[in-house]
This record gives sequence, structure tokens and C-alpha cells, in this order.
Amino acid sequence: MNLTDLTNLAIKYCEKLGADEAEAFAENLKTTEVVLERAEIQNERVKTQSGIGIRIIKDKKLGFAFASKLAKDSIEEACRNAQSLANVSIPNPDWVSLPTPAKLPKSPAGIFDEEIASITGDEVLNVSMLAYDAAKGYDKRVDIDDGKFSAIATEVAISNSHGVEAEEKTTLLEGYLVCVAKEHGETSSMSIEYDIASSLKDFSSETIGRLGAERALASLKPKPIQSFSGKVILDSDPASAVLVQPIISSVNADNVQRGRSLWAEKLDKEVASQKLTITDDGLLPKGIGSSSFDSEGAPCQKTPVMMRGKLKNFLHNSFTANKEKKKSTGNAYRDGYYVLPSISVSNLIIEAGNKRLEEIVSEVDKGIVVRRFSGNVRPESGEFSGIAKQASYIEKGEIKYPLKETMISGNAFEAIKNIIEMGSEIRPTLIKAYVPPILIDKVNIVSK
Amino acid sequence: MNKTKLLSFTPDIDAADRFAMVMDLLVKCLKKSRGYVELRYHKRETFSVSIKDGKIDILNGGNIEGACARVLANGSWGFSSTTLIEKEKIERILKDAYSLAKASKPRKKRAVKLANIEPHVDKYETSMKIDPRKTSKEELVHLVTEVDKEVRSFSKNIVSDTVALNIIDDELAFLSSEGTEISQRIVRCSGGVVAIAREKGNINSAIENIGAQSGLEVLKETPLANAGKTAAERAGKLVSAKVAPAGLFPVILENRIVGLLAHEAVGHCSEADLVYGGSFLADKIGKVVAAEKVTLIDDGLYPSGFGTMKYDDEGVPTEKTVIIKKGICRGFLHSRETAQHFGVNPTGNARAWSFEFDPIIRMRNTYIESGDYELEELAENIKEGFFLKGGLSGQADFNGEFMFGTQEAVKIKNGKFAESLRGVTISGNAFEVLKNVDAIGKDFIMRTGMCGKEQVNYVGIGGSSLRTKVLMGGAK
Repeated sequence: MNLTDLTNLAIKYCEKLGADEAEAFAENLKTTEVVLERAEIQNERVKTQSGIGIRIIKDKKLGFAFASKLAKDSIEEACRNAQSLANVSIPNPDWVSLPTPAKLPKSPAGIFDEEIASITGDEVLNVSMLAYDAAKGYDKRVDIDDGKFSAIATEVAISNSHGVEAEEKTTLLEGYLVCVAKEHGETSSMSIEYDIASSLKDFSSETIGRLGAERALASLKPKPIQSFSGKVILDSDPASAVLVQPIISSVNADNVQRGRSLWAEKLDKEVASQKLTITDDGLLPKGIGSSSFDSEGAPCQKTPVMMRGKLKNFLHNSFTANKEKKKSTGNAYRDGYYVLPSISVSNLIIEAGNKRLEEIVSEVDKGIVVRRFSGNVRPESGEFSGIAKQASYIEKGEIKYPLKETMISGNAFEAIKNIIEMGSEIRPTLIKAYVPPILIDKVNIVSK
Repeated sequence: MNKTKLLSFTPDIDAADRFAMVMDLLVKCLKKSRGYVELRYHKRETFSVSIKDGKIDILNGGNIEGACARVLANGSWGFSSTTLIEKEKIERILKDAYSLAKASKPRKKRAVKLANIEPHVDKYETSMKIDPRKTSKEELVHLVTEVDKEVRSFSKNIVSDTVALNIIDDELAFLSSEGTEISQRIVRCSGGVVAIAREKGNINSAIENIGAQSGLEVLKETPLANAGKTAAERAGKLVSAKVAPAGLFPVILENRIVGLLAHEAVGHCSEADLVYGGSFLADKIGKVVAAEKVTLIDDGLYPSGFGTMKYDDEGVPTEKTVIIKKGICRGFLHSRETAQHFGVNPTGNARAWSFEFDPIIRMRNTYIESGDYELEELAENIKEGFFLKGGLSGQADFNGEFMFGTQEAVKIKNGKFAESLRGVTISGNAFEVLKNVDAIGKDFIMRTGMCGKEQVNYVGIGGSSLRTKVLMGGAK
């Protein structure tokens, strides 16, 4: 039986059990991965994970259950468990309906790569060794602490009792390397470099290794600076963590409806610098979060989120959309078959500017550049504070020296009003956002 | 009406019978294997209720089940797992793991050797007064609903809240070709509350958790409503407060966050795999690494600890491992492999998240031992500083630099507690921060944590309030 046969079987069974509405989400995941540790290959794994999650609604009461075995008996057991839970649940007056069938867009180009789907452990090992060699070959002071390279082929199927039926295959290649540089008994702070791509062709092991090495080396012999408030260039990854996370939290319709978003009343109002334009594009060709439908089987789409600093839309799943009698934006998301759908971005694209990082550096009179952020960001209020890792001091347009024990702090919602420059190079980050380096002002740069 | 039977997730046959059948199958398959072989079985049943703003957001129950084989052949490991517990599949993963071990040999520099251990045949089960398997789910939904109602009563400006309860019930088996045969049932119950307060244009969230390796009695011992109270009051109190200032300050770390210091600042760097890579503790055995008042332990047997297990996932009995004794570095956390390499005994720190992962070195329950100060005494010597409360996430760097977030910073002026400010992330060099510990309280508490290191896992973190100096990443 294929996945859709199994989800359909589940729906039929739930209907027999007397569910008002039912949804089955089945998933097959094959991960081929190589783990590196202390500069050695630690492990090669092939993991096959599969399972099914059943959502049942009875008298506006919700129950959800899952099973990791895709067989008739375990699926029926999961349906019964979901039913039992719905029985003891409490009616949710906000419940309207699971999605009804809608015409799905064509599968976005380049989201499934046969090369990744059929990759062998040896080939993943080659991918990781390219990164490994690029780092070790860069400079002999560089050591690889750990790393992991995973090729993931996913197949999902969703059916619900309203006749939604969708199935899709996607692939992803993810890899990271943690490097340190050692010299005269001194160990640098760790650099963490990664890449994510939907095809083998678009994945660059070499870049991971080279940047990992370069950045670990560049943080040797750090110096402290005097605390000041001023300009900070956040490279893509820290920009994503510090600035984009609070944005994602604030445009999540569930947060908006619950009063957890400062932007609840801000549609069509200016909330950021005119330099900031953001789109959520579930249909982005080759996108790491692309699909023709979301985790509830609703069509994915391209949604303008922010246009030159003006807030345009919130992101919905069917529950939040129904609450406002709107159409879902196709942003239902699940971490796996074992959880209920929530809301997430698909591919959140932060529009790039037109200056390369070096150019931006050259225009900073006094400031710092941060390549990794190790800290905390409060998504609701936008407060951030943490260590500026692989950070360097900039004076008169030149990178002077790496920083020792330096923290940055501020507020993301203030910072996005103070954007001076958007970089030209956007890249996918760990939170499914495509982000360029961003130069912001009035950040607290904190040192002893 | 007794709904227990109806709502239980146990399949048709009794769980114990099913487990015995699985053990029997694994024993048979193990007999035919080659090389040093480990077989693990893992069934995880989970149950979660989450109430958001008075309405059920999540009501989720389910299970994952599977087995894995790890084979050591020619000095190299091979690993394979399956979700199908049947003879052909188990034989298949044994075969696959063996060929993977053979195939990867030429690419590995170092031949794996294991420290010897006594084979153990044993059973362990979390000590429980109220077994969640025997509790009706309806009752649990009710309990969480009640806490949710209370949260708003604790502070008038709460606009939204989430109250969650999670039960994780793990059944584990470990068998090795050396004759070890262990079964463990580990039950973890935990809960958390998120409260969001608004006032004028300001917003603030606070979070508080409870939990232990225990049956549901933990909800009576440390009521979820208390966590709700802490979170709601904190969110409400700080909604219009300023952010704490930036700079190096003398601070008191609240007992509830000292475990983060133990875990992030020291724990990670004492994991033998990191030591092997040259972490800052690498050459420090027998040397002073902290103030004399500091004794730091990683305990695999701590009663009700979130990271407690009688045996680790290599079948090694866990123990109370001393990392720092009175300021001097005394030991590291080991697997069988690193123990052999360092010429010491394995400490029982090899843990795997699930049957899909091979075990790696992880902490269990990491804590700093208590001193004898009252909280007020800790504040006495501080002219200008902060009492930091409520933890957020943290991270450790290879070079000893660590950070973790705090939710609240109570100002200390001339030895007296003053107003509360919003907490910030703090950082420091582990060495310096531990050397600056000059007083430790006696309000010991063990808490729950989740730690991510290639795989995630449950850990305990503990300690008493203590005084030291840290860099606060705050406002101007």
C-alpha cells in the first residue's frame, strides 16, 4: 500500500468510529547521515522513520494520536486512541472545520532530487569529506570538533474526511561543521557553518569547510574593546536569529489572535525601515520549505508579509483563518507525523540589498561584524542579548581584530527600524528564512 | 465510571507480556551474531495536553517503537535500526550493522577498544506512586484546564497563556553479546506554563517548568499551579520594567538557574569526547579550576532526576561522578570507549535519544553541591549587583565561554534586594566564573532540562543559589 492508501484507510476507519471530521497525515522519511566527531568519522546511519498522525474532531472536541508503525492494525489503534482522546477533550468553540478540497498548485520545481533520494552512505561520506578537506586543507591550525551531514528524502500524504487528498515527495541535504583553531596553547571560539539545499547540486560542502576554517582562524588572538552603542553588521545567520525570529513570531496569526504579537493592530502600518521587504513563498523553486500544499493539505502560496517596511499580511493555518473567516495562507506546519499542525513560515525571503558584505564593512566608521550569535531572543518583545561570536571590530571601514568576550544587546523591533544596509547575498538559514547580512545601528556592544 | 481501560494506550496484549516477547526475540537473534554486539529495544509512549487561553490546543497520545543493533568489528562500529520488531528485521539490522562496521574500518584512524565491564542482568523501573498508565486521561485534561484558569488570576495583565503537561514513558531493553541483559522503564512527567502580559505598548512573556522522573505524584509535590503563579507574576511584574543594565556585575544566581551554570559552563567541557578534542578541562585533572567552595557532580542515580537511569545505553551501571571536588578537577564523563582511551572506569554516561541513534557521551543530573548561606547573606556583600532568576536557553563553547538567558534581574543595592528588571543573557569564562564563586546557599533544587548535542536528551540540572561575577548583556 502506498501512503495515500494508508491515510485513506485511516479516514474510512475514523468515519466508522463516528468522527465528525478526521485527518490523517502519514510520513516516510529516509535519512542517510554521517557524523563526524573530533576530526574522525564517528558514524554512518541510515534511518527510516515513518508514522501516521490522526486528528479526530467530534462535537468540536479534538483528539490526536500517532503510531510509528504503518500497518493496518497500528493505524486503526491510533484512530481509536485519537477517538478516545476526543471523547475526554473539551469542546473548542473556535473550531470550524478541517480544510476542504482546493485546487493545488503544481509541485514547485526542484524540491525533489533523485540524487539525494537514492544517495548511499558512501556518497554522503564524500559530501562530508569535501567539507572536512576544505577545512583541514585551509590551514593546519584548524581542527574539526564535530559535524553532521544528512540527506533526507521525505514522502508525505494527507487525507481528510472532506475529501482533501495530497501526496508529495521532497528532499533535503543538510550539513554542518564545528571548527576551532588552535595556536600556541590557545583555542579559538567554535565556528559553526552549515548549508541546506533541496538538491545535491546546490549544496556546497566546500563553502562550509572553507568558511568554518576561515572564521575559526579569524577569531584567534581576540582583544577586548570598550563598551559602546553603535553599528553592528549581522551576517545572515545571526541576522536570522536576532531579527527574523521575532518577525516570524509577530506575523504568526495565532500569536496575533492571542495578543502575543506587538503587531496585532499594525496591518498596513510602518513597522520597520523601508529597506525591509519580506515575502513568504511556499512555492519557491528549490526552496528548502517549498511544497504544493501545507501540513493540512491546504494549497501553498506566495504571501507578501512586509513591503518596504509596511506590514502586509499575517500567516495562517486553517484554524486561525477560519476564526477570521479568511482563507488559509497555507502555513500549517508539523515537525513530524507525531505532532499537531501549528503555524510556520514556508520560505521566508528577506529581500536582499545591493552591497556585498565587504562593501558594507568598508562604509562603517566604527562598529563590529558578528558572524554567529550565541544568546537569547525574546520573540514577543524583541529583546535580544548574547555573545557576539566570530565577531570583529571595524574601524574606518576596515576589520581590525577579533573581539574577546563581547556581547550585543538591544531590541529587534527597534533594530529593524534602524536598518542602514541590507547585504546582497541571501542564504537559507536554520529557521527556513532566506536572509542577507544586515547592518543595524544603535546596538549595545558590551564588554567587561 | 472507570474510563481507565478505555483510555489506556496499551495494546490488546498486556504490556509486560509484549515486553517479554520482545526480550525473548532479541535474545534469540543475539545468539547468532558475530563480533561484539549490542541490541537495544525502545518503546516510547507519550501523552501531552496543552491548553491555550482556556481552550484545548493539543491533546496528543502515541508511541514510537523500534530496535537497533550496534556491532564492533575490527575496531570499528556499525549501527542499524528498524521500527519493525520481527525476527527477519532484527537479523537484518544485525547483518547491516556488521557490514557497516567492516566497511567503515579503512576510513577510521583509531581502532575502537572498550573498557571492560561486568555483564549485568537486571531490571529497573522509575519509582512511582501514581503510574500514569493507570490514570485516566480525562483527569489529566481536567487538571491542566484548572491550572489554566488559575494563571490569569495571578496577575491582572495576562493576555494569553499556555499550560502543558507531558508524560514520557520509555521502555528500554539492552542486550549484549557479553551477556548483559537489562530492562528499564523510565517515566518522566513534566509540565510548563507560558504567560504573556501586556500593558500599554509593552509585552512580556515568562515561562516556568516543573517535572521529574517520577509518576504523576510530582504534580502534587511541585504543583503545576505554582509554576503558573511564578510565570504569571513574573510576566505581569516585568511588563513595564526596564531591561537590566550591561556590564560585569556581582550576582546571585537563583537556585533554579545554578544548574544551567553547572551544565553549560562545566558539564559539557567535562564530556570525555570533548576533552579528547581538547576542551578547556583537557589538561586540568588534579588542578584548581574553581573556587574551593565548588564541588560539581554529574549523578546518574540522583533520586527522581530527569537524567537518572540505572544503566546507560551501553549497559554500564551509572554512578555519581565527581567532576570538581573542592575546586579541583577530578574526573570526566565517559563511555566505554573513552574510558579505555583515558585508562579509567566507564562512568555510565553513554546515552542515546532513541533506537534511531547510537549512544554518545551525555550528562545525566549535573549539579553544584550546597553551601550554608541564607539568601539574604548572599546579598549582604553586594554593593551593586543583581539577583538573577528564571532560566532561558544556554550554550557552551569549546574554549570555556558559556552563556545562558535569565528572565528577571532583581537589583541589589548595599546588600538589599530592590526593584525587578527584565533579565538578560549572561556570559563568562567558566574558569573565571567558578573561581569567583565565594558563597553558596543551602536552598538546593534539582530541575529538568533538555540538552541538544547532535541528539537531544533529558537531563537534570541542580544547585543552590550562589554568588559570583558575570557579564550581563543588558541595556546601556
